[in-house]
Amino acid sequence: MSGAPAVAGRQDEGAFARPARGRAVSDHPLPWLLPLVLILLAFTVYPLFYNIYLSFHEYAPFKRALVWVGTENWTRLFADGRLWDSLGVTLVYFVVALAIEVALGMAIALLLDADEPGFGFLRGVLTLTLVIPPAITGMMFLLMEDPQFGILSYVLKLFGLLDSTTPILATPSLALAGVVLADVWQWTPFMVLIFLAGLRALPVEPYEAAMIDGASPLQTFTRLTLPMMGKVIAVAVLIRGIDLFRVFDYVYVMTSGGPGTATYSLSLYAWQQTFSFVKWGYGATISLFSLVIVLVVANLFIYLAKVRW
Amino acid sequence: MHSSPAARALRWVLAWAVVALFAFPIYYWITVAFKVPREIFDNPPRVFDFSPTVENFEKVFGFSFGGGLQTVTGGGGNFYMTPRLWDSIVIAVFSTLLAVVVSTLASYALSRMTFRGRHHFVAWVLSTRMMPPVAVAIPMFFIFKDLSLLDTYTGMILVHALMNLPLAVLLLKSFFDDIPAEIDESAVVDGASRFLIFRRIVLPMAKGGIAATAVLCFIFSWTEFLFALTLTQTSIKTVPVVSSTFVTSTGTAWGNMAALGAAAMIPAFVFILLVQKHLVRGLTMGSLKQ
Repeated sequence: MSGAPAVAGRQDEGAFARPARGRAVSDHPLPWLLPLVLILLAFTVYPLFYNIYLSFHEYAPFKRALVWVGTENWTRLFADGRLWDSLGVTLVYFVVALAIEVALGMAIALLLDADEPGFGFLRGVLTLTLVIPPAITGMMFLLMEDPQFGILSYVLKLFGLLDSTTPILATPSLALAGVVLADVWQWTPFMVLIFLAGLRALPVEPYEAAMIDGASPLQTFTRLTLPMMGKVIAVAVLIRGIDLFRVFDYVYVMTSGGPGTATYSLSLYAWQQTFSFVKWGYGATISLFSLVIVLVVANLFIYLAKVRW
Repeated sequence: MHSSPAARALRWVLAWAVVALFAFPIYYWITVAFKVPREIFDNPPRVFDFSPTVENFEKVFGFSFGGGLQTVTGGGGNFYMTPRLWDSIVIAVFSTLLAVVVSTLASYALSRMTFRGRHHFVAWVLSTRMMPPVAVAIPMFFIFKDLSLLDTYTGMILVHALMNLPLAVLLLKSFFDDIPAEIDESAVVDGASRFLIFRRIVLPMAKGGIAATAVLCFIFSWTEFLFALTLTQTSIKTVPVVSSTFVTSTGTAWGNMAALGAAAMIPAFVFILLVQKHLVRGLTMGSLKQ
C-alpha cells in the first residue's frame, strides 16, 4: 500500500483503516500551520527585527552606507517637537473620526433597522463606500473641497458656512476636518452595517417588557440596546481604531501633511523621514514608536473589553 | 413593534435622504469621469446638466469607442492606464490565491486540533493585523532591495498576501468552527486521514466561506495604497498609486483620474454585492456572525 494515496483504498474498507492510536503526519497541527508560520516569520518578525536594527543606525550620505549611531534616534525621538505634533494630529484624528463614526453609525443603523420596502437596497448602497480605494476617496474629496470649483465648498458658501476666500484644505484650522470628512464618509457605513447586524440579532422579549413598563425610547436605547450591543460596539471600535491610528492614504493624497504640519499623521511623518528625507534610521524609529503604541493600546482594549476571537 | 404611519413615513424619507447623501460623492465622481474639463471647472458645479462624453475613458484606456479598437494616445501617453489595471489585477488575484491557500490550511488546524499555545497563536496572528503598514513597509523596502524584489509582481503579491493573512485566517477559522466537529470525528473513527477529511468533507462544506474570504482579500489588495506606493517604482504600479500621480505641476487631470477611479470601483462594487451575506462577519474578521 505504501506510496499509493489513501484515497485509492476508498472501496476497500480494510486498506483504508489504520490503527486507532497511530498518528499520521496530518494529525499533527504543524504541517497545517507551517506555511502560515513561515510567512509570518519572514514578513512580520524579520522586518520587525530589521526595523529595530535600522533604529540604531542612520544613513550617512557621504559614506553611502548605514552607520551605527547608538540610541541617538531614540533620544532624538523624545526631543522632536514635530513628532509630538504628529502624534497629536493622529490622536485628534483618531478620537474625532471614531466618535463621529460610532455615533453617526449607530444613528443610521437605528434608522435602517426596520423591515420597510427598499431598506435592503439602501443597505447594499451603503456597502459601496467601503470598497473604494481610500486614495481615490481622498481624490474625490480633494475635488469636492476645492475652493474654486468644489461642490462641497460651493454648498457651504451657499449656506454662509464658509467664507468665499477660504480654501478648506489649505487653512490650518480646517484642513484636518476636511480630511476627517473623507474618513467619516467612507467608514461610517462600516459601523452602520456592523451595528445593523447586531441590532437585528437582538432578542425581542426585553423590548416587549420595556414597552409594557412604559419605558421611553431613550430609556430603551440606553438601558437595553446599548448594553446588549456592547460586544458588537467593542469589536467595531477595535477594528476601526487600529486602522484610524495608522491613517496615511487620505493625508498623503489630500494635504501631504499640510498646511504646515496641520495634518501630519504619525505614519506620514515616519514615511517621509525615510523616503523623502533619507533618514532611514529615524523613520524606522518613528514607525516602531507607533507600532508599540498600537500594540499596547489595542491589546489593553481587547483585555478590558473582553473581545474574543 | 408598531409605529404610526407618520413615523414610518418619516423613517422612510430620512433613510433615503441619508443614503442619498452617502451615495452622492460616488455619483458626482462618475459624472466627472464623463465631463470635459470646462464643465469640471464650472462654478456653480454641474450636477445634472452636463453633456456626457467618453473622452476621458478613451484617453485613459487608449481606445476609441467610436471607431472600434484604435489607439488614441499612441499607446504611451501620460495617462494611458490599461497596463496599470493589469498590474492591479495580477497582484490582487495571486495575492488572494496565496493568502487563501495558506490560511485555509492553518484555519482548519486552529479550528479542529487542540495543541498547547493555540490561544496565543491566534493572538499572535491577530496582533500582526495591528502592525501599522508603515512599520512593515520601511524595513520591507530595504529587505526587498537586497533581494531584488522591489518593483516586482512577486514582491507585491507576497506583501499583499501577508497583509490579508490575519483576516483570512480568523475569518476562515470562524467558518470552519460553524461546521460540526462530529462530522470530522466520525470520519476519523472510520480511519480517514485528517487531510482526506479536510479535502473531501470540510472544504466542500466551507465553500461559501472560502469564496467570501477570497473576495475580501481581493478587495483589500485592490484598494491598498501604502505598500504599493513604497514597494513599486516604475515598472509596475497599482491603480490607487497611479491615481495619485495625476496631480501634476500644470494642474490635475481630474477627468482622466475620475475615469480611472470609476473603472476601478466597478469590480469592487460587483464583488462586494456578491458577498453581502458574509459581509459583517468579514468586516469583523470572523468575530461577529450575521
